Amino acid sequence: MPPQSEMPPKIVVRGLTKRFRRGNEEFTALAPVDLDIAQGELVCLLGPSGCGKSTLLNLLAGFDEASGGTVHIDGEPVRTPDPRRVFVFQEYGIFPWATVRENISLGLRRRPEAERREIVERYIDLVGLRGFENSYPGEISGGMKQRVAVARALAVSPEVVFMDEPFGALDSLTRLSMRQELRRIWQLERLTIVLVTHDVDEALQLADRVVVMTSSPGRIAATIPVGLEHPRDVLSPAYGTLRKHLFGLLGVQDGV
Amino acid sequence: MSIPALVTAVVAAAVIVASRGLRQRAQAVVLPIFTGILLLAVWHLWAESTWYELATPGQPTRRVEVFPTPGRVLPAFAELASDGRIFRYIIASLFRVATGFGVAALIGIPLGLYAGWSTRGGYAIDPYIAALRPISPIAWIPISTLAFGIKDEAAIFIIFMGAFFPIVTGAATAVRSMPIAYVRAAHNFGLRKWELLRFVVFPAALPQIITSLRIALGIGWLVVVAAEMTAIQSGLGFLIVDARNMGMRYDLVVAGMIVIGAIGIGLDWLVRRLERLDSVRWGFSKE
Repeated sequence: MPPQSEMPPKIVVRGLTKRFRRGNEEFTALAPVDLDIAQGELVCLLGPSGCGKSTLLNLLAGFDEASGGTVHIDGEPVRTPDPRRVFVFQEYGIFPWATVRENISLGLRRRPEAERREIVERYIDLVGLRGFENSYPGEISGGMKQRVAVARALAVSPEVVFMDEPFGALDSLTRLSMRQELRRIWQLERLTIVLVTHDVDEALQLADRVVVMTSSPGRIAATIPVGLEHPRDVLSPAYGTLRKHLFGLLGVQDGV
Repeated sequence: MSIPALVTAVVAAAVIVASRGLRQRAQAVVLPIFTGILLLAVWHLWAESTWYELATPGQPTRRVEVFPTPGRVLPAFAELASDGRIFRYIIASLFRVATGFGVAALIGIPLGLYAGWSTRGGYAIDPYIAALRPISPIAWIPISTLAFGIKDEAAIFIIFMGAFFPIVTGAATAVRSMPIAYVRAAHNFGLRKWELLRFVVFPAALPQIITSLRIALGIGWLVVVAAEMTAIQSGLGFLIVDARNMGMRYDLVVAGMIVIGAIGIGLDWLVRRLERLDSVRWGFSKE
């Protein structure tokens, strides 16, 4: 495998901006942003609310129209959502009127019946939902719902997965095990993942690279590579140094 | 007669007060029964007190009751059942409501989904729905009888006017309040326009549509009685005006009212059954 620097980046963002109108006032949600993301990289967009991280993610996914600049994925400009690049929503992303199995098969309507069934069953097992495939989202826990969303996204064999605070609604223990699971699945599938979070530890535990964003206007403050081995030891000095550095960039004092 | 009724009322009231000491499940059984008994007793006492003396020259003075007591309404049911009249009237009323309500749902649901989904559809339809909605369906009775004559169609049209607007607005509001993540997910997974409507917009709106159907059916049942009092000569509404006009039979009037109430409960119960379907239950949980 050639070193990553010789491969063209998977996602190329140049001069991307987004402005909103609020009555007569115009405000900038995202100041011009440049960003390259490599094939198979797990990148976290980290920042406080209002820093434009979700705006950036929506633009990358093609849900929103940019006010300026471009997004290219594999050299193709992004204009609309596409099943090759799927989005995992924090909440409400999965359909409460459909069973776990029906939710996971959402993106597989045009596959032959036998193939569809095989894929759905495989992902039910992969995310550990065996026994709950006929349950409705209202009948399962928040962590399981998020697993349904992940399984539904992976079932269409996407190249890129966008995640908007995917574990934000979960309790801290479930969140930790979901991170481990995401890392495991990411290694199995060699996906490119862009994940939005406001949690410094989530970013440090998951990411190959952390893109730190700050607000008014939303922009990229720094891009920090995380060169730590997995599983990452949160008590190691190297982790602690990075953690302090990220809090510093976000302008927050670590420690209460 | 009024002494036993008075005693019954006092005992029922005492039981209601004393029920505080019972377990909740016992309260759920005892309370509705004893409020019922109390209401019947009060009705009896009140109805009995409304009488006057009719003095006809050359005859002894007669005591005439104005309002029927519960005891006089009971045989009225038997009278209505014995000649089959009540069953014919119930079927006539139910048929009109079912038809008017059915047509309203058939047109109202797709139209509401369209008005809610399409911005242009909303612009085109919304103002007229908003303007026609506050007009009581009863106000359409003269126009309806002019258009259809004293026929079933006249009553059906009035029920349609009562049921249509809650259904359209219910469906449109349901679509508009749908979380944007549903639509985005559907676009993301490559669903086409009709698939989006069939597999996302419609199921997402369904719980609220069922609620609006429940409201619409309730209104339909209210309106049919009014329509039958003027626009047609059969059905439960007609029974009530007819009983009064033909011989001041207020016992029959009250019996008819009770039948209307009971059927109303039954209709509501039927629609509520829909709320338990697997694919809509999520919309009715208190979570």
